Amino acid sequence: MTSREWLAVAAATVPALGAVLVSLAPRRFVPALGLLSAALASAAALALAVAALVRADDPVATDWLVVDVAAGLIVGIVGVVGLASVLASPVYLRSSPTELVRPERGARLYYGALLAFWAVLVSVPIAGNLGIAWLLVEATTAASVLLVGYSGRATALEAGWKYLVLTSLGLGVALLGIVLIAPSVEGGIGALSWDSLASIDEGSSRLSAAFVLLLAGLAAKVGWAPVHNWLPDAHSEAPPPVSALLSAALLPAVLVVAWRSDRALAPAVGEETAQALLVGFGLFSLAVAVPFLWRALTWKRLLAYSSLENMGVLAIGLAFATPLAIAGVVIHVLGHALAKALGFYAATPLVAHAPLAASHPASGIARTSPALGASLGISLGTLAGLPPSPLFASEVLIVAGGFSAGRPWEATAAAVLLALGFLGLGHVLLDVLVGKARRRTEGTPIGLRGVAAMTAVAAIALLALTALAPWLPNSEIVDALVNGAA
Amino acid sequence: MTSFLLWALVASGLAVVVVRRRSVVVAIVTAQALMLAVVALLDAETVDDVVAGGALALRAILLAALFAAVVARTRERRPVHARIPPLMRAGAAVLLALTLVWLVPEIGLDSRNAERAVLSLIAFGIATAGLRRATVLQILGIVLVENGLALAALELPGETASAAIEVGVAVDLMLISVVATVFHQRIFGLFGAGDTAALRALRD
Repeated sequence: MTSREWLAVAAATVPALGAVLVSLAPRRFVPALGLLSAALASAAALALAVAALVRADDPVATDWLVVDVAAGLIVGIVGVVGLASVLASPVYLRSSPTELVRPERGARLYYGALLAFWAVLVSVPIAGNLGIAWLLVEATTAASVLLVGYSGRATALEAGWKYLVLTSLGLGVALLGIVLIAPSVEGGIGALSWDSLASIDEGSSRLSAAFVLLLAGLAAKVGWAPVHNWLPDAHSEAPPPVSALLSAALLPAVLVVAWRSDRALAPAVGEETAQALLVGFGLFSLAVAVPFLWRALTWKRLLAYSSLENMGVLAIGLAFATPLAIAGVVIHVLGHALAKALGFYAATPLVAHAPLAASHPASGIARTSPALGASLGISLGTLAGLPPSPLFASEVLIVAGGFSAGRPWEATAAAVLLALGFLGLGHVLLDVLVGKARRRTEGTPIGLRGVAAMTAVAAIALLALTALAPWLPNSEIVDALVNGAA
Repeated sequence: MTSFLLWALVASGLAVVVVRRRSVVVAIVTAQALMLAVVALLDAETVDDVVAGGALALRAILLAALFAAVVARTRERRPVHARIPPLMRAGAAVLLALTLVWLVPEIGLDSRNAERAVLSLIAFGIATAGLRRATVLQILGIVLVENGLALAALELPGETASAAIEVGVAVDLMLISVVATVFHQRIFGLFGAGDTAALRALRD
C-alpha cells in the first residue's frame, strides 16, 4: 500500500477506534477521550487532505479506495469541522441535557455517535466503489440520526424520524439504481469501481433508468429539492456542533458520490442527460430555497434553508464542469463549510444571550453583543455572498462557467435566483444585526469566547479563499477535477 | 423464481399496506425475506452466493426478533389508526405500483414479471412508510423496500450477486432498524403511542 492509502485507512480507523474507546471507558474520561480521538482523527484527515492535494495530478484509484482532489477537499473539511465540533461540544452538553437516554449516559452516547459518524463520513469520499459508497452513505444516517434526536425533545424526535425514514427510502431507490447498473459491469455488484463504471460504453434504457434512480435517490441525502424535506428539520433540531458537521461535511460528501456517479456514467447515458439532471436538481433547489431566505425564520432553520440553496449552487457548478465553474465549486464547498459551521457554533451563545432566538427570528444582536453580532454577521454575510465573501467569488465563477460551457439560459436562471437569495439574506442580515433588540440575558453568553476565537480564524480563512479564487481556475487542482473524476 | 412465488411476494407486500396489527406485519416481512433467502440458497452456485443468501436469512431472523421485542415492549391499548382507510391505502399503493411499472422501462431482470414484482414491492414499501402512522409500520415499509431490492438482486441475469454488498446492506438495515426502535420507544414514552401524528410541530 502507498503512504496515501495508509493515511486513508488511518483517517477512517482513528475516529472509529475513538468511538469504541469512548463507549468502553469510565464515564469521567469520556470527554477527554473524545477530544483526544478528535485531535488525532483531525491530524490524520488533514495529512490525507494535504497529500491528496499535493499529488493532484497522480490520484490513487483502486477498486476499493480513491484518494484524489475531491476526496482530499472533503476529508480536509471533515478534519477541520469535526475537530471544531468536538471543541464546541462541551459547551452545548453543559447547556442542554439529553432526554433521549438517561442523563448520565448522555456524554457517552454523544461522543460515541459523533466519532462513529466521523469515521463513516470521512470514508464516503474515499470509497472507490459505488456499492461501498452507498453502504457508507446509508451508514451515515444510522450514525447521525441519534445525534439529531439527541436532545430527546418532541421536535428533535420528529426531525430525526423524518431524516431516518426519508433518507432511507431515498437510498433504497438509489440502491435499485445500483442493482440495475450491475449487469453492465463484469463482476456484478461487487465490482462497481468508478473506473469500471466509466468503462461502460453502451447505453440502454435500463442504464438511463438506473442512472436517474441512482441520482434521485442520492438527492434525498444531498438535500436537493424536491426530496429535501428532512433537511431543514434535521439541521435545525440537531445539536449545533452536529448541525455544523451535517451541513458542512455530510452534504458535500454525498455530493461527491453523486458527482463521481454522474461523471462515470455520463459516457454511457449521454453527457447531455448527465448534465441536465444536475442542473435540474440545482435550479429547483435554488427556486425552492429562495422564498425561505426571505422569511423570518429561527437562526438555525435559516441556515438549514441556506444549505438547500448552496447544494443547489454546487449541483449547477458541477454540471457546467468548465474550469471556471469547477473552481467556483471548490471555493464554494470550502467557504460554505467554514461559514455554515461558524453560524451553527454561534447558535449556542445566541440562545444563551437572547433566549427568544430559540423559537423566534434573531434580531438586533449586534446592538447588545457586538462580538456575537460579528460571528453571526460574518457567517450570514458570507453565506449571502456579500463581497468580499468567497461565496460571491464562487458564484460569479460558476455563472461565468455556465456561459463558457454554452449554457446561457441555465446560467442566467441561476444568476437571477442567486441575486434573489442574496437580497433575501441581506435583508435578514440587517435584521439580525441591527433590528429591534428583544429580551437579553446579562453577562457574557456561554460559549461566546470560543466562538469569537473561531470567528477570527474563520474570517482569515474566508479572506484567503477569496484571494485564491482568481488563481484557482488555472490550477492543477481544478485541472485534476475537470479531467479525471478518479 | 416461479410466477407463483412472485405473486405471493406481491400479495404479501400489499397486505403490509393494509393489515392492522404490527405483529402480523412483522411476520409478513420476515416470511418474505426468509422466502427470498431460501430461493437464494437453493440457487447458490458459489460460496459468495451462499454467504449472500445467509446474510439475507440472518437479517430476516434478527429483524424479526428485534421488532417482535419492540412490539411486545410497547403494547398499545388500541392500534394506531391511519387517517386513510385500508381500501384507499391499498388503492393508492396499487396506483403507485402501476405508475412505477409504466414509468420504468425494461430493467433487464430475468422476466418482466420479476421486474413488476420488484417495482410493486418498492411501491408498497414507500406507500407503507408514507400512508401509515405507526412508527414501527413506517420502518417495516423500509424493510419491505429492501425485500424488493433483494428480489431484484436475485433476479439479475448472470453472476451479479456480491456477498460483501449483501452483508453490508443487511448490516446497514439492522443499524437503521435498531436506531429506529430507539426513536420509537422514546416517542412511545413521550406520547403513549408510537404514532407519527404526534410529530407535526415542525412547519414553515
